[in-house]
Amino acid sequence: MPIDNPINAFELAFPIVQCIHVAGFALSAGTVAIVDFRLLGLILPQRTPAQLLRETALWTLSGVILMIVTGLLLFSSDPDMYLLNFSFDLKMILLALAIAFNYTIHRRAVQSSPSPVTGKFVACASLALWISVLFGGIFIGFSPQVLGFKA
Amino acid sequence: MSEMLLSFAQWIQLTDFFTYLRGSAYVYPVILSLHMVAIAFFGGMILMTDLRMLGWAMTGRPVSWVLDGLRIPKRYGFLLIATCGVLMAGCKAEEYYYNAFFRAKLALLVLVVVHAAIFRASVYNRAAEFDLAGQVPGRAKLAAALSLILWIGIACMGRGIGYIEPPFGIHAQLWPF
Repeated sequence: MPIDNPINAFELAFPIVQCIHVAGFALSAGTVAIVDFRLLGLILPQRTPAQLLRETALWTLSGVILMIVTGLLLFSSDPDMYLLNFSFDLKMILLALAIAFNYTIHRRAVQSSPSPVTGKFVACASLALWISVLFGGIFIGFSPQVLGFKA
Repeated sequence: MSEMLLSFAQWIQLTDFFTYLRGSAYVYPVILSLHMVAIAFFGGMILMTDLRMLGWAMTGRPVSWVLDGLRIPKRYGFLLIATCGVLMAGCKAEEYYYNAFFRAKLALLVLVVVHAAIFRASVYNRAAEFDLAGQVPGRAKLAAALSLILWIGIACMGRGIGYIEPPFGIHAQLWPF
């Protein structure tokens, strides 16, 4: 017996969850970006990247959890469409990479006071990963599956 | 006045530039993606600034340090967000003219300017004094809370724009889809 998914039952549910999803990645990618911009020497010169990482880590994690929970809710609205959507699949791979990178190489590099070159390299890799995840999210909506083109 | 705005919207969306943007398979979504990236990066900075003033985040650091350190990058961020936003709004100016969420978003952006006018001198330029005093006054916490509400509201209104169907008939000649 099919059970109605509340996400599809209310017209406003999907956009509201999307708003929370945006808040989630503003917190996660936003706080990661603060550390990365510091590594690049662009902002907040008074503190080391390691100190900034310590102060933002909890907010990054909260943001990651928030965006994953809301992301799963959005996914549940139409799983077949998402799974067949190339942008979505690519986004999931990039997201897994971004999270793995953030909690391994990125964290270790920041905590070990890297040389400027290493720090900048890690920051660029991190920013590139998170930016590509965000692009992936937007392009989901511009895929043939969503626009109704015949493949 | 409203007729002038409407004919301006109709004119600008039919310029060669916006006609090209609207029809492009990749440029438009790239602009939207950049809009989102900038929201994530610089919206994150706004969140951290406001949460610091409220005493919820980065409490180990002076308020003035967070406020002054993020001020300039936030401005660049806003410039990027606004540029992408203007480019996208130009593409569908006529539809946006009728869009209630778009109007609400613009109204909230005006409130951001009002917010800055009210609190700049008494809060944002006096962060060093809060650090010396050892506590953030209620006025500053109010400013931070209002800022959070305004920016979250603006993001939500932006998300809502895409969910309103344009009035019948204005769209047919625009979209290739």
